[in-house]
Amino acid sequence: MNKLIYIITLMLLCACNSKPRVIAYGKDNCHYCKMTIVDQQHASELVTKKGKIYVYDAIECMLYDLKDHPERDYKYHLVNTYNNPKILKNAHQSIYLISEKLPSPMGANLTAFKDIEQGEIMLQELGGKLYSWDDLKKQFNL
Amino acid sequence: MLKHSFLSLMFLFYLPLLSKSIIVKKNSTINTIERAINVAGNNDTIIVEKGTYYEHELHISKHITLISKEATIDAEYKGGIFVLEADSITIKGFILNNIKSSHIKDKSAIYVINANYFTIEDNTINNPFFAIQIHRSKYGIINNNNIYGDAKVGKNSGNGVHIWHSDHLQISNNHINQMRDGIYLEFADDCKIEHNISTNNIRYGLHFMFSNNNLYANNEFNNNGAGVAVMFSKFIHIENNLFKLNWGSASYGLLLKEIYDSEITNNTFVQNTIGIYSEGTARINYQNNSLKNNGWGVKIAGGCYENKFTNNNFINNAFDISYNGRMNDNTFNRNYWSAYTGYDLDKDGVGDIPYRPVKLFSYIVNRTPETIVLLRSLFIDLINFSEKVSPIFTPDQLKDNQPLIKLIN
Repeated sequence: MNKLIYIITLMLLCACNSKPRVIAYGKDNCHYCKMTIVDQQHASELVTKKGKIYVYDAIECMLYDLKDHPERDYKYHLVNTYNNPKILKNAHQSIYLISEKLPSPMGANLTAFKDIEQGEIMLQELGGKLYSWDDLKKQFNL
Repeated sequence: MLKHSFLSLMFLFYLPLLSKSIIVKKNSTINTIERAINVAGNNDTIIVEKGTYYEHELHISKHITLISKEATIDAEYKGGIFVLEADSITIKGFILNNIKSSHIKDKSAIYVINANYFTIEDNTINNPFFAIQIHRSKYGIINNNNIYGDAKVGKNSGNGVHIWHSDHLQISNNHINQMRDGIYLEFADDCKIEHNISTNNIRYGLHFMFSNNNLYANNEFNNNGAGVAVMFSKFIHIENNLFKLNWGSASYGLLLKEIYDSEITNNTFVQNTIGIYSEGTARINYQNNSLKNNGWGVKIAGGCYENKFTNNNFINNAFDISYNGRMNDNTFNRNYWSAYTGYDLDKDGVGDIPYRPVKLFSYIVNRTPETIVLLRSLFIDLINFSEKVSPIFTPDQLKDNQPLIKLIN
């Protein structure tokens, strides 16, 4: 009897696992704007502490959704970066470029880069402005 | 005086000689289009005789017209074909094949950049990545082109007609098939999109954002992966279009997000999972549309205000209207509802009791989509009936006070 209780508790606890998942490009829809996610350099993802996953077709959609729902508790903020598409990286550690010459799916011209060096290379080439995650949130009034 | 008018007359005779025709033919000195473009002067016409020309990246920075007499240009996967970089260029009648696949914007079959008053007409483009891309160019015409793609789900692919920051365009009579998005507009105002057929595209038959004052009329959007989605635009006219066979859990006949002050009239929505999906819309006039055999006729998500539904036919939809929320600011008046079971004793063509188009079951399905499996079960029919008789969950004002007895023609 005790063993059974332990096993069931373990199973229940496993259900509360909050891990990110791979975005199914061409199938998943952006939680904010409902568009099918196809751009592998701009898609982003949020994972709440309870394990609910929200995917977005662009980083700006993720930011708009963050603004609309301040009550949610997030475990991960994840973004695709320009040079490593399909690989989701921690949004807090990424650098962001807003440049008219580098469009993003929902018109904010916002792209993430793995680190400041890669961001600077693109900044030199295309102009615009670089932001850290905190600066970016301020830019979007979060 | 006489001398002046005589001189002017002579000048008019000589005027045609100022612009010449250059003929491109296989066995002649000018045997490539590139050479013809190089020797051409402004206002010249280049006529390309029948044959296959293996050329790519043809940059045009003069005001010239290129007409094909059944000529084919094969890019051999080395790049795009035409790049228009000057005003008043015409590209007419070409068959364009084997364009290189790429996300770099230059690599389209036809790329127009900072070039106004262009005409792209009667061309056939096969299996391109992007077929026609227009950037920052105004007053252009894209007419009667056929674009045949080979896009597949999962494989990266480009769009048929892709417009970016370009106003006052006319896009008409094109046939676009199996691209990623058939017609895509971003920041394109004052455009007319008419008589196009956009089918079997992986994602959208039509998608526009931030594009105001446009007319979309007499188009057919058929069997596209996600249907048609339009967003963040105002003063739009969507008239006389056919939205059909857009099936799927994320497929919409017409998805409207943040669309304001627009007219959606005389359209037909047939056999879609969701005929119209509306979120964040205001002051849209839906009139004389026909919504038939859809899963949902109109699904109204949050933030929809002051929209008017008048004189529409709702025929055999599983859910005529699905609503989200307690308050309703939208009006429904004089529509025909095939599910209406009221009577008309005074024979004025209008039902004597109001019709409430939102079924209780639609609320359950909204919250838990899996419960759709209970559709047509006796239990659901019973609760729908009880809600119809005495509504508890559906907003009280969400009703059509004058439901029509007969179908509107």
